[in-house]
Amino acid sequence: MSDPLTAIETALEDEGLFCTRDDDDEAYRIAFKSEGDRYFVVAYRDDPNFLMIGSGWTLPAEIDTFDALDVANVLNVRKKFVKTALWEEERDVLFTVELCVNSPEEVRPNFGRLLDVLRDTAAEFFDELREDEA
Amino acid sequence: MASVRERIVQFIESEGHRVDASPLDEAEGVSELLFRTRGQVFSVTTFEQNPGAFTISTAYEIPDWARERGQNVETLARVNDEFPDVAFVMAHDGGLFVTTSDEAPGSPEAFTRTFWERVGRVREAGARAIEDIVDRTESKAAAEKFINSFMRSEQ
Repeated sequence: MSDPLTAIETALEDEGLFCTRDDDDEAYRIAFKSEGDRYFVVAYRDDPNFLMIGSGWTLPAEIDTFDALDVANVLNVRKKFVKTALWEEERDVLFTVELCVNSPEEVRPNFGRLLDVLRDTAAEFFDELREDEA
Repeated sequence: MASVRERIVQFIESEGHRVDASPLDEAEGVSELLFRTRGQVFSVTTFEQNPGAFTISTAYEIPDWARERGQNVETLARVNDEFPDVAFVMAHDGGLFVTTSDEAPGSPEAFTRTFWERVGRVREAGARAIEDIVDRTESKAAAEKFINSFMRSEQ
């Protein structure tokens, strides 16, 4: 199978971003940063039509988990493309775009939009929780 | 010690972005750093002789159909009232405008601490301006020319 993430690397180059590869037996993986925030792209070897773009954050200690779940639920209803999930024990928040594609080349022209919505969703999530906190 | 230019290039690259750096005035130590974020190219100017001062700029192309509109300069002036810390300059015979912010954070390190907020401010101002320029919903601007001419003739 040819490398399914070559098109994503090209999309990142289109966006003027550096990236690194971290493939293993299970998946093809890309890591990159934009405006200092970290993102990843994953394509599993045994599921060539599935593609995930995401970013992971730590939930600050002062944030109540139930408040975070409420905000995540609101965003899941409202936002196109992005799934917001909490890993409660680890207090991690994961924002992901999960796609079914024939080829990652299909994603290339829309990559900027997907990155924007990922970034905006994370920003709205934390802004909303900070407002609740205040 | 690394130059101001090198320090800012290192910072932007460490944040994930490719940077194209070129000298604007080698004798004066003025450099331009170009990078992309959110689909928009930004320029940062660094001054070796004034390491606490920088400019951040980005350009917005005005669509052909909106270039001949008389009120574009007024629109930029109005948006400038909302964003007084950002300057707008029309260029290329009205084909584009440049949004610029002069920054005086005091040092390269201080500049990097608020870098993305400042880039965001320039982007927000420019986006507002282009949004207003291509806005076809307001009739006031279209009527303004006639209102002014009626007033002059004391109708």
